[in-house]
Amino acid sequence: MSHSTADVPNGVSNWRRTLSMLGSLQGYIGLVLVVSAGILTKGDIFLNQANLTNAVGAFASRGILAVGVTLVILTAGIDLSVGSMLGLASMVSAMLLSRADLSPWMILPLAMVAGGAMGLFNGAGTTLLRIQPFVMTLATLSVFRGIDRQISNNVSVGTQIAQDDGTLTPHSEQFQLFGTPGHNLFEGVLGAGVYYPVLAFVVVCIVFQLILSKTTFGRHIYAVGGNETAARLSGVNVTRVKIAVYTLAGLLAGFAGPIDAAYSASADPQAGFSYELDAIAAAVIGGASLAGGRGTIIGTFVGALILTLLDNVLGLNAVSDNLQLIIKGLIVIVAVVLQRPDLFTSASAAVRRAFGRDDSTHTTRRST
Amino acid sequence: MRSKVLAFGVAAALAMAVAAGCASTTETPGSGATGGASGSESGAPTKSEYVVGYSQSNNAEPYRAQLNIQLEHFIKQYPDLKLLPITDAQQDSGKQVAHVQNFIQQKVDVLIVSPNEAAPLTAAVQQACDAKIPVIVLDRTVNTDCYSSFIGGDNVAAGRKAGELAVQLLPSGGNVVELQGILSNQPQIDRDKGFREAIAANPKIKIIQQREAKWLKEEATTVMNQWLAQNLKIDLVYAENDPMALGAYLAAAGRGQEKAMKFIGTDGLAIPDGGIRAVQQGQLAGTFIYPTGAEEAAKAANALVHGETVEKDQTLEIEGVTPENAADLYAKFDFSNK
Repeated sequence: MSHSTADVPNGVSNWRRTLSMLGSLQGYIGLVLVVSAGILTKGDIFLNQANLTNAVGAFASRGILAVGVTLVILTAGIDLSVGSMLGLASMVSAMLLSRADLSPWMILPLAMVAGGAMGLFNGAGTTLLRIQPFVMTLATLSVFRGIDRQISNNVSVGTQIAQDDGTLTPHSEQFQLFGTPGHNLFEGVLGAGVYYPVLAFVVVCIVFQLILSKTTFGRHIYAVGGNETAARLSGVNVTRVKIAVYTLAGLLAGFAGPIDAAYSASADPQAGFSYELDAIAAAVIGGASLAGGRGTIIGTFVGALILTLLDNVLGLNAVSDNLQLIIKGLIVIVAVVLQRPDLFTSASAAVRRAFGRDDSTHTTRRST
Repeated sequence: MRSKVLAFGVAAALAMAVAAGCASTTETPGSGATGGASGSESGAPTKSEYVVGYSQSNNAEPYRAQLNIQLEHFIKQYPDLKLLPITDAQQDSGKQVAHVQNFIQQKVDVLIVSPNEAAPLTAAVQQACDAKIPVIVLDRTVNTDCYSSFIGGDNVAAGRKAGELAVQLLPSGGNVVELQGILSNQPQIDRDKGFREAIAANPKIKIIQQREAKWLKEEATTVMNQWLAQNLKIDLVYAENDPMALGAYLAAAGRGQEKAMKFIGTDGLAIPDGGIRAVQQGQLAGTFIYPTGAEEAAKAANALVHGETVEKDQTLEIEGVTPENAADLYAKFDFSNK
C-alpha cells in the first residue's frame, strides 16, 4: 500500500490522503453518525440504558458470529455456514437442556464442541479437499440446516416449563441468564447489571483481538491472508492456520447458539437464518477486506455496533422495513468504497480519460 | 483399474434399473383379481393398495411440519391407502412443479398438492388432471377448476376472529400494535385484512404501529423491545402467528410489563411451544386454530380412489382457543404420540 505521491498531481494526492484517513477511521465516523442520528431523532429514548442494552443484546449472537467470520476473512476465506451452525448449536443446546436435563455449564461447552466440529468439517473441506471456501460453506449451510430441521422434526424446542398454576418458569434460571431480555448479571452489584449477551460479545471481541495482535497464531492469520505463498515459504503451516480459523468460527457459532436459544426462550428450526449475511456485513463495515490480510476485531465490533444501532434508530423512528434494507445495503457499499482510497483516483482518471484528457495516464498506471 | 470402476458403475446402474422395474411391477398390477397389464388405464378397478402422492410447498414451517405429521397419521387410518414420501419444495415453485410431474409419471392414484404459489402450480395441476389423476388442492388455491377438491382454511376469517377478540378485550377502545409475517405472503395479507375489518367495529381501537417480523419469534422480540423503548401506550398486541405473539410477550415480560397488555396470536399448534399451551398458561389472551385440513384430505383421498364424489370446495372452520377449552383442544390436536 505504501506509495510516493511525488508524481501525482497535488489535488489528487490530497484527496487520496483524506480518503485513506477516512478509510481507517470510517468505522468510528460511521458510529458517530449513527449515534448522532439516534440522539437527534429520538434522543431521550435512544440513549436509555435499557434500549441500548436490548439493541446490542439482540445483535450479540450475530456479533459473535462476525468475530468468527472475520478470522476466516483475514485468511482470504469466507464462511457462509455460520448462521446454520448457530441454528444447529441452539437446537442441540435446547434439546440437551429440556430432554437430557443437563446443567447449562455442561451445555455451553458441548454446544461449542458441536460448533467446533462443524467448523473443522468446513476447514477440512476447504484445505484437504481444496474446495473453494464459498462453495464448501454454501454446501454446509444447507447440510447443517438440514440436520437442525431433521433432529427437531421442524418443531421448536422450548427452554421453559409450565407449572401447575399456569405460570412459566425457565427450565434453568442459569440457562435463561444467557440471553432472556431483562435478565442481567451482577444486578445490584453494578446498578442495573450487565445483560449477558452484551457481556459475552464484548469478552469474545477482547479475547480474539488479543489473539490476533499478541500471538504468533494471530500473525500467521494475517500472513496467510496477505500472501499465502510468502507465508508458506517463510514456514507458516498454511493448512493448519486455515483449519484453525474455520474451527474457531464454528466454535464461536456454537457459543452463540445457547445465547440465541435463551434469547427467544426456544430453539427455532429457522434460528440463525441469514445471520451469516449480517455477520459478513459487520466485518466488512468494520474494515475487513475480503481479499484477506486486512481487518481487526475492534473494527468488526464497531461494524456490528453500527448495524445494531442503525437497526434500533430506524426502528425507533418507524422507518419501513423496505427502506431499512435499502439503507443497510448502501452503507455496506459506502464502507467498502471508503476502504479503497486508490479506487477514487483510478475512477477519476478513467472518467478523465473517457472525456479525452490523457494527461493523467501516469496517475492511472500508478494507482492500479 | 479404470475398467473395474466402469464395470462396477454398470453393475450398479443395472441393479438400480432392476430395482426400479420391480417397484413398478409390484405397484401397477394390484391384486390378482383385476390382473390387467395396464392397471392405470383400465377404468376404476378395485386394487388392494392405492398410492397417494403429497407435494408440500415447504417443510420448514412448524405449521407445515404439523400438517405432514397429521396427514401421515390420518392416511394410516385407511389401510388400502399408501402415502409416498412427502416431497418438500422448499418454497420453490419450480421445484414443486417438478415434484408434481414426478408424481404424475409415477401414476399415483390420488395427488395432494399444497401449492407454494397459485400461478406456477396451475399448469402442473392441469397436467395431473389431464392424466386422469384426481387432485386435492390443500391450503392454497390454484387458478384452474380442474381439480377434485379444494380443502383449506380462511385466513381472512382467522384475522377477523382475532379482530373480534380484540374488540371484546378492549370495550372502551385502545392502542394496538401488529406484528406481521413476511409482507408478500398471502396469509399475512389476508389476516391483516380480516383483523382490520373486525376492529373497525370500534373506532376507538387504533393500530398505532405495525412491523414485519417475518413470522419469527426473535424478530418479534427485537421489534417489541423497540416499541416498548418508545414508551408507547400499548393495550394489545396482535401477532399474525403464535411465535411472534410469544416473542412480543417475552420482550414485555423482560420489562415486567406483560400484565399491562393483552396478546393475541394465530395458528394454535398443539406443540409444547405452541399457542394453545400459551393460552393455557395465560401468556396469550387467545389464539385461533388455523386448521391443517389433513384429516379432511385423507378422507377425500379415500373417497376419490373408491370412485365416490367429494365436495368441491371445503372451507374449514377457524376455532378459537380460550383458557376454558385450551386443554381439550391440545389433547385433540396433539399428534406427538399418535
